[in-house]
Amino acid sequence: MADALLYTKDLSVGYGGVAVVNGVDISVRPGHIVTLIGPNGAGKSTVLKTLTRQLAPTGGAVALDGRDLNTMPDRDLARTEAILMTARPAPELMTCADVVSAGRYPYTGRLGLLTDDDRAEVRRAMELVGVTGLADRDFTRVSDGQRQLVMLARAICQRPRLLVLDEPTSYLDVRYKLKLLTVLKDLAAREKLAVLMSLHELALARKISDTLVCVADGTIDRVGPPEDVFTPGYMARLFGVTEDLLAQARAGGLRWEELYGF
Amino acid sequence: MARKKRTITGYAALLALLGSLLVLNLCVGSVGMRPGEIFSLLGHPGGQSAEARILWQIRFPRTLAAALLGGALALSGFLLQTFFANPIAGPFVLGISSGAKLAVALALIAALGRGLALPSTALIAAAFAGSLLSTGFILAVSGKVRRMGTLIICGVMIGYICSAVTDLLVTFADDANIVNLHNWSLGSFSGVTWANVRTMALVVLAGFGCAMALSKPMGAYRLGPVYAANVGVNVRRLRAELIVLSSLLSACVTAFAGPVSFVGVAVPHLVKSLFGTSKPLAALPACFLGGAVFCLFCDLLARTLFAPTELAIGSVTAVFGAPVVLWLMLRRQGGRDDG
Repeated sequence: MADALLYTKDLSVGYGGVAVVNGVDISVRPGHIVTLIGPNGAGKSTVLKTLTRQLAPTGGAVALDGRDLNTMPDRDLARTEAILMTARPAPELMTCADVVSAGRYPYTGRLGLLTDDDRAEVRRAMELVGVTGLADRDFTRVSDGQRQLVMLARAICQRPRLLVLDEPTSYLDVRYKLKLLTVLKDLAAREKLAVLMSLHELALARKISDTLVCVADGTIDRVGPPEDVFTPGYMARLFGVTEDLLAQARAGGLRWEELYGF
Repeated sequence: MARKKRTITGYAALLALLGSLLVLNLCVGSVGMRPGEIFSLLGHPGGQSAEARILWQIRFPRTLAAALLGGALALSGFLLQTFFANPIAGPFVLGISSGAKLAVALALIAALGRGLALPSTALIAAAFAGSLLSTGFILAVSGKVRRMGTLIICGVMIGYICSAVTDLLVTFADDANIVNLHNWSLGSFSGVTWANVRTMALVVLAGFGCAMALSKPMGAYRLGPVYAANVGVNVRRLRAELIVLSSLLSACVTAFAGPVSFVGVAVPHLVKSLFGTSKPLAALPACFLGGAVFCLFCDLLARTLFAPTELAIGSVTAVFGAPVVLWLMLRRQGGRDDG
């Protein structure tokens, strides 16, 4: 695990000292995409919040870049890890360019003034994600999909080495889903960005991920490459899909194997 | 670039308004003076003529007080709006001013009953304690209810309770103190001394400096606590700083001028819309200037409209402030692009 950027050991996560998920052992290497899947309410978001220091671990340890995540200085953490969570900010009178620029915070001085280098980073991030045309538009007046891409550009111009995303494709139409995942794949391949995210769309998770982490029943049920995880039998067990339900679906013309391409 | 131009134009307009209102407030009154006279009198602080004394002992300190305290109110509102991530937050609507008013009334009555004169720093301290108590209550409520509407209603209720208790105290205070206390509890910039101006300048300008020092984290906080923390803002500390600073600024206003309503909501709204940005580094100084302009204008009306009777400053600021707040809220709801 020496080459892992993010590494957890016997981590347990939860709220107010009460663990929701135990025995979390995850490692994310530079250039790899690791995806959490599992049923609703399994605790995927709780894991991600703990790995981004929004929640304190209820037990175990998290190492980021070889250091203890929870004692790392704020600025070092900000320069290493950027996030795209499910919270949808609705700031007053901010243009999309303003929102993206917010990612430069850990690099600017006392007053937060942008240098030419910072502005170049903002432009690069917006071009990469394809939202340059939105620069002067009010952030609250663009579509959900555009907003999500702008938030991704914000995270990218933070120049992180690890990007953590919670359900980044939810509520987006196919075009934005495709764009978002393409950008992630591209950054992982070209810039050795490490990506850790949770996804509901199994077909997408299967295509894009190097490693899948299956969260269910308060623990990490299985970790492995897509071919080890995406078997009809295991998927049914992970999501609690019963034989009865499969039979009913088949009777209605819905074949689970066809739907998800196992 | 368009925004830069807009910012420069905005500042030029605010400074021009501030300059002309400063001169106007010095000129207009029961004894009218021409700007030329004002400037020659201002060159000679020790003058003994009636005009010189009116200018130096009454109008000049009062004008400066209106400008400083107006700026403080607008800043306090801006800080609270950042804290609650809501444009309707302000020291008056959240009941913070009323808490301060009650604490000051208590301190005044306790001191006057013992025949003591309170220094202005003690009044600010009392007002600050009162502000923090009301704010503490609002924060406790905001932990339970997330809806801003409910919070505002709580604030208004605290305001009523504190005002009712203040009224009771004023009613039962010693006859000799009633007149002073009554005037103050209605809100007014009158009777300000140079010593008061020095104290308020110290507090308000220090508060302005601290607010400017917070402009970077406040800017990041506009995207919410999660994203602010992710770029390295110490969110817990920022929130504490916002509350202490906004309470101190509004406490200073209440200690010297009593309750002044709606400036804290109306001015930041107007300034942000005028400048087309909520970026603290650009908007904070403009809010300060805007608050000064707004209060100078309202004080001018308060003392000249029905002279020699003076209106309560809060009545005038409400007449101009409340409709602005309503109008802006409705316009924002409409979702038009120029919002």
